[in-house]
Amino acid sequence: MHRGEGGLATLETTLMITILVPLLFAVIEFGDVFQRWLAQESATVQVARYAAELGGDAPEVRALLDDSLRRSGIDPSLSTLDVTPARVGWREPLTVTVRTSATVAIPFLFTAAIPLRTTTIVRGELAR
Amino acid sequence: MSAITTIGALPLLIVILVTTLELGSLRVVAARVRSAADVAALVAVNDQDDVELERTGRLIPAADAADVARSVFAANLEPIAAMLATTPVAIAGGASVRVDAAPATVHISATVPVRTPVFGALFFHPITDIAVVANGGAR
Repeated sequence: MHRGEGGLATLETTLMITILVPLLFAVIEFGDVFQRWLAQESATVQVARYAAELGGDAPEVRALLDDSLRRSGIDPSLSTLDVTPARVGWREPLTVTVRTSATVAIPFLFTAAIPLRTTTIVRGELAR
Repeated sequence: MSAITTIGALPLLIVILVTTLELGSLRVVAARVRSAADVAALVAVNDQDDVELERTGRLIPAADAADVARSVFAANLEPIAAMLATTPVAIAGGASVRVDAAPATVHISATVPVRTPVFGALFFHPITDIAVVANGGAR
């Protein structure tokens, strides 16, 4: 191989890498975001059901959320939980919102934090 | 040569990427729709007829159980309203809700139209319907 051909091959490989690596990482990173979103969605529904049975916000509700997020690989210390209103009676609407963020890092392009917000609305099921 | 091939194939690679992302997004919306219907069925079936419960001890869904199911279904679709092709209230209004007294159960079946602009541009399929069925039983 001549010296010039070797240089050309290096240039071509560099070009390919700068195009293909971001594409590959985009699929992997966004796949991870979707997986986290699904896990958070599922955790929010479980937490909302539990909050409805307990009549609103309670330490047990927050503990369940932390446990569910941790099992899904999401750091619970970076999440926020809103239970509105804090106390509900039988048949009163209860809104549970969980917020986290996922970091997407695409080599050569950008790194960004994507906010993930999931909400479930239930009704109070505390015994009459 | 390989660099030219890669650059030439770039549009195809980008199409594959955006299709994958839209498919992922559609899966997330489908999960959201499923959980919205599940929660609606559970909340509706827990809306018991208090008078009948006190009188006979039997669990019978309240008279407004179907309305409760629809309103909770619509409320839980609201967070993804921007991705839907029609309003959550219209989707919930068009859903089939059946309430059975014995055993006390609530069944919801609905078709949820979701905007899929990438599928629209590529496959002339701008709206994808998600069919969902949910059942809840009193305990």
